[in-house]
Amino acid sequence: MKATYGLYPNPDSAERAMNRLRSRRSALGFEVRDICLAASEPLDEYDLGWREQKTPMPWLAALGGLIGGTSGYLLVSLTQRAYPLPTGNMPIVALWPTGVIVYELTMLGAILTTFISLLISARLPRWRKTVYDPAVSEGKILIGVVNPEEATHADLVKTLLEAGAEQVKEYVSS
Amino acid sequence: MARQWGMVIDLDRCTGCEACVVACHAENNIATVGEDQAARGRAMHWIRVERYWEGNFPNARVIYRPVLCQQCGDAPCEAVCPTYASYHNPEGLNAQIYNRCIGTRYCGNACPYNVRFFNFYNPVWDKPLNLQLNPDVSVRSVGIMEKCTFCIQRIKVAEFRAQAEKRPLKDEEFNPACVQSCPPKAMVFGDLDDPASEVSRLAQSNRATRLLEEVGTLPNVIYLRSVS
Amino acid sequence: MAAHSPEQLNQDVLRPLVRTSWRFYLTGGILGSIVLAALAAFIYQVYAGIGVSGLDRPVFWGFYITNFVFWIGISHAGTLISAILRLTDARWRRPVTRCAEAITVFALVIGGMFPIIHLGRPYLFFWLFPYPSERGIWPNFHSPLLWDAFAISTYLTGSSIFLYLPTIPDFALVRDKAKGWRRKFYGFLSLGWTGTPRQWHRLEMAMRIMAVVILPVAVSVHTIVSWDFAMAPVPMWHSTVFGPYFVAGAIFSGIAALIIAMAILRKAFHLEEYLTPFHFDKLGKLLLLMSLVWGYFIVAERLTVWYGNESPEMAVYWSTQQGRFTHLFWFMVFCNLVIPFIILSIKQFRNSITGPVIASTTVVIGMWIERFLIIVPPLERKYLPYSWGTYRPTWVEITITAGTFAAMALLYMIFSKLVPMISVWEMKLGWRQEAESPQLVTSEARLTGAVPSADLPAPEN
Repeated sequence: MKATYGLYPNPDSAERAMNRLRSRRSALGFEVRDICLAASEPLDEYDLGWREQKTPMPWLAALGGLIGGTSGYLLVSLTQRAYPLPTGNMPIVALWPTGVIVYELTMLGAILTTFISLLISARLPRWRKTVYDPAVSEGKILIGVVNPEEATHADLVKTLLEAGAEQVKEYVSS
Repeated sequence: MARQWGMVIDLDRCTGCEACVVACHAENNIATVGEDQAARGRAMHWIRVERYWEGNFPNARVIYRPVLCQQCGDAPCEAVCPTYASYHNPEGLNAQIYNRCIGTRYCGNACPYNVRFFNFYNPVWDKPLNLQLNPDVSVRSVGIMEKCTFCIQRIKVAEFRAQAEKRPLKDEEFNPACVQSCPPKAMVFGDLDDPASEVSRLAQSNRATRLLEEVGTLPNVIYLRSVS
Repeated sequence: MAAHSPEQLNQDVLRPLVRTSWRFYLTGGILGSIVLAALAAFIYQVYAGIGVSGLDRPVFWGFYITNFVFWIGISHAGTLISAILRLTDARWRRPVTRCAEAITVFALVIGGMFPIIHLGRPYLFFWLFPYPSERGIWPNFHSPLLWDAFAISTYLTGSSIFLYLPTIPDFALVRDKAKGWRRKFYGFLSLGWTGTPRQWHRLEMAMRIMAVVILPVAVSVHTIVSWDFAMAPVPMWHSTVFGPYFVAGAIFSGIAALIIAMAILRKAFHLEEYLTPFHFDKLGKLLLLMSLVWGYFIVAERLTVWYGNESPEMAVYWSTQQGRFTHLFWFMVFCNLVIPFIILSIKQFRNSITGPVIASTTVVIGMWIERFLIIVPPLERKYLPYSWGTYRPTWVEITITAGTFAAMALLYMIFSKLVPMISVWEMKLGWRQEAESPQLVTSEARLTGAVPSADLPAPEN
């Protein structure tokens, strides 16, 4: 995989670069999904691709909670019925104690689902090399194009620089 | 046939001789812990005779009250045990299954009567006392709870014998060690569900009270005491 | 206050990760030997039997369960406070959250060990967990101890994730800055984070969900701990006030622990520019509030018992008012109410860092005593006077107790050497947002140093 990217000093120039890349994508020969971006902090006030994000994570968490709670109820009621011990005056499967376990496992279900859905939808962990530059940690914003056309490469570099890139670099992974 | 074992203790008869305590120790392989440990409150007596004084000297009157596990109908110790070591057996006894116990001691805290005992150390019997251990009763190790069982080993033997001889279990057939050894016959043991038994007859007495009844544990040990 | 920039922040926060002074090793060595002594004491206890503790009949629970309740209480410092501050979007939270969340995880690990340490047969602790076994029996879900096991496992899982998630971008930062084994280590911890829009979006979403979910879990954990007592028919345990009373006490001691931890970090790692008197002032106010809430619960509990005048409860009541626990009781009130009230309600004291730290220290001591006074006096005076007892801890229990404090400090120290103790990306985000919209720049932000002072608008006069 190859990529050509620019490092932008602030979100304004990054937004400018993003807009130019988007509007010139057919001339330069790539799709919107070929644009790559890396930043050291969330930039949701800017039009950089955060805004159109949608995720069912809250619903997944609720579903996970439902599954957790149900399995909690089944765990308590099935094990207690499978091995019914006389409990004096008290019920074998009692309402309140079961409620406590169901509550905790509901929460555990929601927590684990949230964590797992984060990993899956953010594609983590990611051990393959991807377009990245350690300068991102210095606060720079990386914007580039994956596998750009050879023919329009000079034009792409120019576009990136015009938007305010401090540097334009090539990324090549083996 | 379901039974409800129970006991009636007549406090007006009790002389506080503590023969029941000795008999219990001998029957149930209860370890003696020694003076130092006993002074620290670690003595194990499944049955103890509590002494209370009423009035002031010289008009003081002493009252003895043997306290053993009350075999509660609604026992606080059972619900709180995480491993079912403390559980309710089908004959209404609060059984303690030693092998299940991991020693949280929660049951001991929950018991309002303080009749549950913990093995703080492995029990030792000085020679030759180790030769008089009762083979029908398991010896408990360090880290587990133990308590009065109403001499369940005697109950089981009597039940098996009656079953083998294909006859109903007779009320007077056996007694726990404390009842058997009581010189003034202050204690009576039997089936509270059998209206003909002596315990159920005595339990109807107008002298009958239960210990800490207000806690709501529904004890199966009934104390008889005339209110003067 | 010197002007500081994102680069300066990187340096200040990452410095402790690579540079370690001899003081660290010395402190670590001392703490480590206390922990080893505690470990030896525990091994001795398992070998000789739990009789080497001061427990007896009827006081079956003593120092160990006190420590259990105390440390689970301390664990409410982090996750709960951090989640509240995140949900209300309190801007001053940014340098505080990481320190707080780390306390939660370690305090939970330490607190969670005590139910095992105190067992008569600790090697069988796993019988508390539900798993199909050859014993053909499942645990008793009616027992509050089972609820504990579930609540604490859930809380530990949740708060570990809650601590880990916002640290992932910071691990990526360290990875980019580091060389050698550190690069590999932090690369692994950062899960290959690059900071794409999708990753940031999902991470923030996950944090929002976690903050909502972890709050009720935290409340339930200490409520369930209180139910260990409230479910048993023991005088002055069997009380409906225990749930909220314990939760309030937990948050109270948690804030105190957080203030102490922050003060130590500030001094040891030279984070004076980030953890400012402003933060201590805010947390001090919170501590004062919780101190008053705690006092309210004490009054509510004591007054109803006294007015109810039931003889078993009064026996316990008088043992803390006119019996052998009187001094301890009033010392606790002094530590938890008097000292915090004097120090924290007077602005001059609260605004210095020493003030809140002194108040927090007395609160931590007072809250440990509070847990002890909740557990031991009722057991000593339980119903039938003939079987009343007394409890005195032995050196084994004292050593293990000291060991847990050392273990907490040691774990926290090691953690602070491995993980940036201030959330770098959240700090930078805060600075940028406030620089971009100056109307957000309040006196609050100026005081916190949440905005580099060069970027500040001229003061209006």
